[in-house]
Amino acid sequence: MLRHIARRLLHLIPMLLGITLISFAIIQLSPGDFLAEARMNPVVSSETVDRMRVSFGLDQPLHIQYLRWFWNALRLDFGYSFAFQVPVIWLIGSRLMNSVLLNLVSFAVAWAIAIPLGIHAARRQYTLSDNVLSFSAYLGISTPTFFSGLFLLYLAFRTGWFPIGGMTSIDHDFLPWWGKILDVAHHMVLPVLVLGVLSVAGLMRQMRANLLEVLRQDYVRTARSKGLAERVVINKHVVRNAINPLITIFGFSLGGLLGGSAILENVMGWPGIGKLIVEATIQKDLYVVMASLVLGSVTLVAGNLIADVLLVVSDPRIRYD
Amino acid sequence: MRGMIPRLVAVAIAGALIVATPVIAQSPRLTLPDVANPLVAEGEVGRYGGTYVTTSISDPRTFNAIVAQETSSTVPLSYSFDGLVETNRISTEIEGALAESWTVSKDGRTWRFKLRKGVTWHDGVPVTADDVVFTLDAAFTKGVQSSLPDVLTIAGKPIQYKKVDEFTVEFKTEQPFGPFLRTIGFSVLPKHKLEGALKQGASEFNRTWSVATPPREIIGQGPFVMQQYVPGQRIVFLRNTKYYRVDRKGQRLPYLARIVVVVVPNLDAARLKFEAKETDHYSARPREFAEFKQKEAAGNFTIFDGPPTFSTEFLVFNMNPRGISGPKLAWFQNAKFRQAVSHAVDRDAMVRQVYAGRATAQFSPVSPANKFFFNPTTRRYPYDPARAEALLREAGFSKGADGLLRDAAGNVVEFTMATNAGNTDREAIGNLVRQDLTKLGMRVTFAPEAFNTLVGKLTGTFNWEAIIIGLTGGLEPHTGQNVWRSTGSLHMWHPRQDSPATDWEAEIDRVFDQAAQMVDQNKRKQLYNRWQEIVAEQVPMIYFTTTLTQPAVRNTLGNIRLGFGGTTANIEELYYRTPYR
Repeated sequence: MLRHIARRLLHLIPMLLGITLISFAIIQLSPGDFLAEARMNPVVSSETVDRMRVSFGLDQPLHIQYLRWFWNALRLDFGYSFAFQVPVIWLIGSRLMNSVLLNLVSFAVAWAIAIPLGIHAARRQYTLSDNVLSFSAYLGISTPTFFSGLFLLYLAFRTGWFPIGGMTSIDHDFLPWWGKILDVAHHMVLPVLVLGVLSVAGLMRQMRANLLEVLRQDYVRTARSKGLAERVVINKHVVRNAINPLITIFGFSLGGLLGGSAILENVMGWPGIGKLIVEATIQKDLYVVMASLVLGSVTLVAGNLIADVLLVVSDPRIRYD
Repeated sequence: MRGMIPRLVAVAIAGALIVATPVIAQSPRLTLPDVANPLVAEGEVGRYGGTYVTTSISDPRTFNAIVAQETSSTVPLSYSFDGLVETNRISTEIEGALAESWTVSKDGRTWRFKLRKGVTWHDGVPVTADDVVFTLDAAFTKGVQSSLPDVLTIAGKPIQYKKVDEFTVEFKTEQPFGPFLRTIGFSVLPKHKLEGALKQGASEFNRTWSVATPPREIIGQGPFVMQQYVPGQRIVFLRNTKYYRVDRKGQRLPYLARIVVVVVPNLDAARLKFEAKETDHYSARPREFAEFKQKEAAGNFTIFDGPPTFSTEFLVFNMNPRGISGPKLAWFQNAKFRQAVSHAVDRDAMVRQVYAGRATAQFSPVSPANKFFFNPTTRRYPYDPARAEALLREAGFSKGADGLLRDAAGNVVEFTMATNAGNTDREAIGNLVRQDLTKLGMRVTFAPEAFNTLVGKLTGTFNWEAIIIGLTGGLEPHTGQNVWRSTGSLHMWHPRQDSPATDWEAEIDRVFDQAAQMVDQNKRKQLYNRWQEIVAEQVPMIYFTTTLTQPAVRNTLGNIRLGFGGTTANIEELYYRTPYR
């Protein structure tokens, strides 16, 4: 097991090398650069733009730029943002926890709702409640987040029940500690609803399908025929066997803890890294884009690794060595 | 501040004489314990307290006022930093701020500014001539990312500046420089806080006072003190209790206790927040004007029929032999072709369909908002397809039986027209222009591209045919020299020429040279009138429309007056009429 984990972590290095090299090349070789805005400013002379180019190191040959970046990145120095003139680490760090918080809460809400609903739907296959759940699931899956986000913002505007976007109110700093928590929770209701509904739909369908699969197994019939209570059959035997694919999904969604809400953050004004990354990509703020790619890749690999470990824990049949 | 003009001018000309004259005895001279000669604001007397909430659609990028470029940084920083002089919002005249008076030598090259005594930085240290000199030292340091040297370099030579005494600075220009006062209003930085960073080099200076710096270390002399910055959420400012301006009763400004700039993702969110009464100010878009007008009473706000913006939207054809060649270059270099295109563009349809009537047709590079320099008598190009076709015939073009336009050599007139993708107004304009030109028999492909790509082509590879884009503008035409001089890098149709390719470009170069060296503003206006005539005649840029602004402000705020720079630029005078939130 430990050897497996170590091997997976070692694989990360060539993978990161490949991802960063390709992205670096794509960003740098596509036409236009970060200085476009300065170039279009009538007040800024071309000499000033050239000076900026030199000070950003953009005048160096591409392979030098990349190697310099990679060498620094290995030592966890991700460079400075062109636009903000602050370390990329600070820029991402200042917004990272906001994204993690939003995604973790939506994640928890989604799983807490989806698993019981999936079990319920599978046990009452083709009944009215199953059909209603299936229908809502399709609706949930097919609604894009930017649409439901906008819709809920409009609702907040009409009713006045929820703040219009953002994460804290302007008087946040005057509140006691519990007031601060309530304030953030109040702002979080709508974004969590959007993200949660989206994943509930998919997870519930997955859980339902897995459970139906297992319910058809011989050992389930055996368990029922020897007179075990239905509650025990489902919870102890069926669910434990049906959960494996969901653990894989769980690991995969851990990778989305940072970037999963990017679109919604832009719609709802949630101060996470999503908005930062989208803007950096459009402006070609090179090192911000590179650092976020590294971050995304690492969390994705880590998520899958965690899923592998959890699989071993939950299912004794699985071994890696 | 309008009341200040006569006095400042008088002080500047007559020096000490005016103090002895009893004429001003009717209005007793206002003083503050620490500032002997405070600046008296011209607005109505207000009351203290309250929070003003506004929105910004981007985070600030820096808190260094001379490095800042875009409005998401410069607007918040303007709450904390003043310059030597500033532009009066109503009259657009230059008035003193940190400087209480100034004189100019007979040859128009030496300017002497007297600083207001008793003005202090937010940490209590006095503002002196050393700070002004330091700010310029920093801006002119190689590698500091400031565009100030571009503005303060005259005829290829940086201006000279020196401290005369504790409260006097002197500037010397290589030649008499007309726009001097308009370029000297930069934010002054505190030497005692930033000297250390500058000594460590330019890149250290660029990074000091970044958005990662604790806001309380950002020390200015402006009406508000930066208190907090939460990335992606808001910037908070508190009242500067030692500000050097007073109202007509001698009460110290500003009135507001707090300003909160809320960062929102886009204009739609800003609008919803304003309508939900979470914020006090919203710059409405042209299409929203009519709707907001109806909601005024219910929303307790006023939407102003604002002045035109200073920015421009235009179509430009590539006339650069380094970029394109063959028949296309010949068409685009032909003034009759460009005039025909200008006549073919239905600007009224644009005004109606894109801006819901909140725009006017534009034919000059100067916005009508710039009342002093705008020349209303230049050649105009009303929508006239017949005239356009006649012009094309004169230039040797003819329309075939298939409805396609061909040049004298028989080449079908076809080209690609780009704009920056994502700008919905420009995309709509592009579609209208394409339709108009198709009617003439031209085959136009309209292809929006990413902004960075487009700029790369405009300023780097020159590999493009036609582009619809816009530029920001200001009061002073001289700041557009990078666009209009044939050597300029933004001289889009043919940038960075060694010598002017055409006679009219040579004449524009001469106009900009002469106008820069003239101090008499009326003579400068004559020269810039000529420039506008040439541009309207040659149409290197086919201007479309000037859009109007329509700021909406909550009625609870007092001292709201529409002026240059919008409704809330006099931030120190804003106050809450009603008991505040």
